[in-house]
Amino acid sequence: MNVIFQSTYYTLYQAANERCYYIDFGQKLVRMSLCQLLSLRHKVNTIAIENHFDSDLNAHGFEVLMLCNKEHLFILNTLEVLDLKNLVDHGFVAIGLSAKTEVLSQ
Amino acid sequence: MKDIARQSMSIKVESMDLLNGQIKMEAHASATYLAMASWCEQNGFFTSAKFFFKQAEEEREHMMKIFNFLVDTGGNPISPEVTNINHDYSSITDVFESTLEHEVKVTKSIHNIVKKAREAGDIATERFLDWFVMEQIEEENTVRDILDMIEVTGTEGVGLQMIDNQVANWIE
Ligand SMILES: [Fe+2]
Ligand SMILES: [Fe+2]
Repeated sequence: MNVIFQSTYYTLYQAANERCYYIDFGQKLVRMSLCQLLSLRHKVNTIAIENHFDSDLNAHGFEVLMLCNKEHLFILNTLEVLDLKNLVDHGFVAIGLSAKTEVLSQ
Repeated sequence: MKDIARQSMSIKVESMDLLNGQIKMEAHASATYLAMASWCEQNGFFTSAKFFFKQAEEEREHMMKIFNFLVDTGGNPISPEVTNINHDYSSITDVFESTLEHEVKVTKSIHNIVKKAREAGDIATERFLDWFVMEQIEEENTVRDILDMIEVTGTEGVGLQMIDNQVANWIE
């Protein structure tokens, strides 16, 4: 297993022999196909993070994230959501599926 | 390190995001034309209603073309949420003017994706969109011709009924 990218709280691994990826969420290691990783990316990118700063829209600043066809459920706070967004951005650049260059210079 | 990502997916995620946006836009166009068909039916423009029913179907086909391209390239196609469909039009001229406006917006959006794909060296996406670029020329042209016909016919007296009858010429 190779480390692809490590953010503050999470680590993305590639397991080439299994043709899949792993994300270490700290308390749990989650195995993911590329499709599931794409689906995670979509979920993370559609989180309205600005609502976390409005107590009417998101009173407690938490986000419920269900992954891998409801196999896993995570409750993330604002910082964890931002960190996961960061992991996804850099992770996709590192696996060669993102052409985003501005991410790398951050 | 084996490139398992490239083996499963043949376009960049940025192209995928833009194409998912376009899926949404085509779905929105389809729903808008359905609303226009409804307006035409309720206001006695039965031929124009037929025209818009057919347009609605075509826009759905456009959406499915992109959806299937994302399937073929190993991407993650997203079934679109369609909201904010306008059902209010002040006249049949307003309906066709809004149609042209909508088509121009779609054309611009497709051109933007082509440009971005070109910048990213994403030849597959660029070539895939060739068909859409040509289709948009035709779609814009059709609506422009109908608007010209409306102008020439005029909306006074029996003009409105003549306009509706002539729309038949643009239903293949
Ligand atoms: Fe279209
Ligand atoms: Fe169209």
